[in-house]
Amino acid sequence: MSELTLTRARRIVQGLFLVLFLFLFIQTESKGTDELGWPVKLFLDFDPLIFLTTFLSSHRVEGLFWLSLILAGLTVLLGRVFCGWVCPLGTLNNLAGSLRRKRPKPPGPGWFRVKYYILAGLLASSLFGVQLAGVLDPISLTIRSFSLALYPAASYAVTSLFDAIYRLDLPFVTPASEAVYGLLKKTVLPFQQPWFAQGTFIGLLFLGVLALNLVQRRFWCRFLCPLGALLGLLSRYSVLRRSVSEECDACGACAGVCQADAVPAGKDKWRASECLVCNNCDDVCPKNAVSFGLMKGRPRGGLDLVRRNVTASVFAGAFAVPLLRISPLARPRMSDAKIIRPPGSLGEAAFLQSCVRCGECMKVCITGGLQPTLLEAGLEGLWTPVLVPRIGYCEFGCTLCGQVCPTGAIRKLPLEQKQQVRLGHAAIDKGRCLPFAHATPCIVCEETCPTPKKAIWLEEVSVKDREGRSIRLQQPHVDLTMCIGCGACEKHCPVVGRPAIAVTSAGESRTEEHQLLLQAPAGSPDK
Amino acid sequence: MKRRDFLKWTAVSSAGLAMPCGLPALGRIAQAAQGPDLVVAKGASAPQTVRAALDALGGMKRFVSKGDVVILKPNIGWDRTPQYAATTNPDVVGALSKLCYESGAKKVRVFDNTVNDARRCYRQSGIADAAAAAGAEMVYMDSRKYRDVRINGTALKSWPLYGEIFEADKVINVPIAKTHSLSKLTLGMKNWMGVMGGVRFRVHQRLDESLVDLIRVIKPTLTVLDAVRILTANGPTGGDLGDVKRLDTVVAGTDQVAVDAFGATLFGMKGSDLEHVKLAAKAGLGVMDLSKLQIRRIGV
Repeated sequence: MSELTLTRARRIVQGLFLVLFLFLFIQTESKGTDELGWPVKLFLDFDPLIFLTTFLSSHRVEGLFWLSLILAGLTVLLGRVFCGWVCPLGTLNNLAGSLRRKRPKPPGPGWFRVKYYILAGLLASSLFGVQLAGVLDPISLTIRSFSLALYPAASYAVTSLFDAIYRLDLPFVTPASEAVYGLLKKTVLPFQQPWFAQGTFIGLLFLGVLALNLVQRRFWCRFLCPLGALLGLLSRYSVLRRSVSEECDACGACAGVCQADAVPAGKDKWRASECLVCNNCDDVCPKNAVSFGLMKGRPRGGLDLVRRNVTASVFAGAFAVPLLRISPLARPRMSDAKIIRPPGSLGEAAFLQSCVRCGECMKVCITGGLQPTLLEAGLEGLWTPVLVPRIGYCEFGCTLCGQVCPTGAIRKLPLEQKQQVRLGHAAIDKGRCLPFAHATPCIVCEETCPTPKKAIWLEEVSVKDREGRSIRLQQPHVDLTMCIGCGACEKHCPVVGRPAIAVTSAGESRTEEHQLLLQAPAGSPDK
Repeated sequence: MKRRDFLKWTAVSSAGLAMPCGLPALGRIAQAAQGPDLVVAKGASAPQTVRAALDALGGMKRFVSKGDVVILKPNIGWDRTPQYAATTNPDVVGALSKLCYESGAKKVRVFDNTVNDARRCYRQSGIADAAAAAGAEMVYMDSRKYRDVRINGTALKSWPLYGEIFEADKVINVPIAKTHSLSKLTLGMKNWMGVMGGVRFRVHQRLDESLVDLIRVIKPTLTVLDAVRILTANGPTGGDLGDVKRLDTVVAGTDQVAVDAFGATLFGMKGSDLEHVKLAAKAGLGVMDLSKLQIRRIGV
C-alpha cells in the first residue's frame, strides 16, 4: 500500500465534498411534503462572495450567512483551502483538466490578476445596487448549470436508454433493466423530466468553462473566479505558508504542477493568495525541499495588481448600474405582464438586488414552472426565476422555493401566508375560451382552481350555435378578490397553444403599485 | 405474456359490447343468491364500516381469490389532506387493502393519475401511509403504460387508458363522493378519469357521454364509495372545512351505475339527476332505479 500523500488525501476530500454537493443537489426535490429534510443550500450559505455582494446591494443579511464568515475566517488562517479541497467546480475543473495529459503552456504570466479585476467590478456594481455576482460565483454557477442543464440532460439520456430497452421488451434484459431503472428513479433520477428554457445555452456555457481546462488547467480558478479572488485577498496573510529549504536547486518541478500561478520562478516568490494549498509542489519536489507549515511574517510574492486596472474595473462595475437601469423595465411603476415572480418574492427592485441566480428555486419547483429569464426581465434580471404557468403552475400547498432561496429574494413564508400571496391574476380570453367562443362546454379552469372558495366561478347561460340551436352551458369568470395567480387554470386549460385563460403579473401582491383593484383584496399586500 | 392478456381482454370485451344488453341482467340473477346488490354501511370507524360492508356483500373472498393481483383505484386527484374530503379516505383504502390480503391476494397496487403533483397527492391524502401500513404497493403512474383502447362509444372512439387496469386480476374502484360543476357529482364513474392518459381535460366537452363510454370498457370487480366525509361545494378540489359533511358511510356494490345512483341520494339528488348515470342505465351498463335493487343498510 502506498503512503497517503497529501495530494492523495486532498483528492479524497475533494471527492467527498463533490459527493456531498451532488447529494444535496439531488435532495433539492419534493418528496410529497413541504420539507426537504436536508440543508440543500449549504454550499451557498458558506459562500462569502454571495454574502458580501448581497449585503452591499440589498443591505440585508439572510439566515445562515454567518456560515460564510466561518469560511472567510478559515481562509484568513489557512489560505484558499476551499478552492483546492472543497469547491465542487474546482474539483470538476481538476477532472476536466486531467483529460489532457500534457500540461498546456500557460497563456501569460499576468492573467491571474484578471479575476481580481472581475471581483472589483462585481463589488462596485453591488455597492451601487446591482447584484450580478451570482452570474459568475462558482457555487451559483455550478448549481444553476446542474439544475437547468446537466441534470435534465442526464435524466433525458438515461430515461431514453431505459425506455428503448422497455420498448424492445426483451426476455431477461428488459426486466433487469426495469429493476435498475426503478432503483435509479428512487435514488438519483428526478421524479419527472425537468425542462428548462435556455437549458442548452446554460449547459454550453458550463461545458465551455470545463473546456477552458484544455487551454490551461483550472483556467477558471486561476484567471476568472471572483470567489477565488475574494478568498485570495483574504488569504494574503494566512499563517499556513509554504517554505522552501536550502536543498532547492531550482529545478522548476513545482512550478509545473502548481494548480494556480502561485509558484513563479524564484523560490521565495510564492504567492499566498494564489495558492490553492493543493500540496502538489510538496509531493513532487525531488529534494523534498518544499513544506507547508504555520509561520509568521509576510509572504514575499505579492499580487502586484495594476492600480489603473483596478480603478477601471471599479468604474466599469459602477457604470454598469445606470446602463442597466435605463431599461424601461426599471422605470418606476413599470409592470411587465410576464414577470410573474415566485411566491414570497420581494418587490422587483429589491428582488433583483438579492437574487443570485443559483437556480435552487427552479430546481426545487415541484411543477417545473419556475424558469430562468434571458432578457425578459432586462439584462439586470438575467437568469432570474419567473413562473411560466403553461409549463407548471404554483402548487397551492408548496413553499419550497422560499425555503431554498439563499438570499431571501424569495422569502420563506409560512404556508398560510404563502397561500394568500397573489402572483398576479388570471384573465380569460373570450375569443379562445370554448364556452364563450365555441358554444362548447368546458369547466376545467374552475375545476382545477385551488382556492378554498374557487376564484373562478361559472355563470349558467344559454348560447346559440351556428344552426341557432340553444345550448345551455357554463361560462367561467375570474373573481379578482380571490384569484392568487397560481396558474393552475392556465396550465390545465385544454385550449392548446395559447391558452384561453392566462395569468399576468397584474395584481401581484408584492408591489402596491401593481394592484388592479382600488380596494385591495384581503390577504397580504406584502412589502 | 401481459401483452397477450391485454389483446385477449380487448377481444373479449369487444365481443361483449357487440352483444345485446341482456348480459348484465343475467349476471345479476346469478349474483342475487350471493348477497344484496348494494350495501350501505354506517359507522364511526371507517375500517370497521368497510369490513362490515364487505361482509354483508358476501365477504371479500367472493371477489378476491388466492394469488390475485388487485388494483385499488382511489380518487387522489388533489393535493389535500383527508379532512377536506377531496380525496378518498385513507382508512377506507387501508381497510380494503387488508381485506384483499386476507382473501389471499398476492399483491395490492394503489394508484391514480393525479391532477396536482402526484408526490404531494399521495402523501397529503394519507393514502401513501395507509397503503404502506396495509402492505399495499403505492405506485406512481408510468407514462409508458397507457395504451390506446378501442371504446367505440358515443363520445370516445378510443382513448389511452392505463394498461394495468386491464391486466390485473381484480379491480376495485374506491371513489369519494364530491360535487363537480359539470357532472354535478363525482362518484364511481367519474373516478375512471384517473386512469385516462392523453389530453383528458378535452373530454369535458362531452363529459357525461365520455364517462359512460369509459365504463363500457372498464368493469371493476367491485365499487366501494367512500362517503365517510363528502364534499358538498367547491368540488372537486375543496379546501374549506365548511363544505365538508361527515356521513360515516360506505356504499359497496358490484354494479357501478347502481353505486353512483345511490351516491346521488347522499346529496339529496336522484340518480336520474346525473346525466351520466341516466345515460349509463339507458345503455344497459347498470341499474339506476334503486327500487329494483336489493339494498342492505347496516349500522356498525
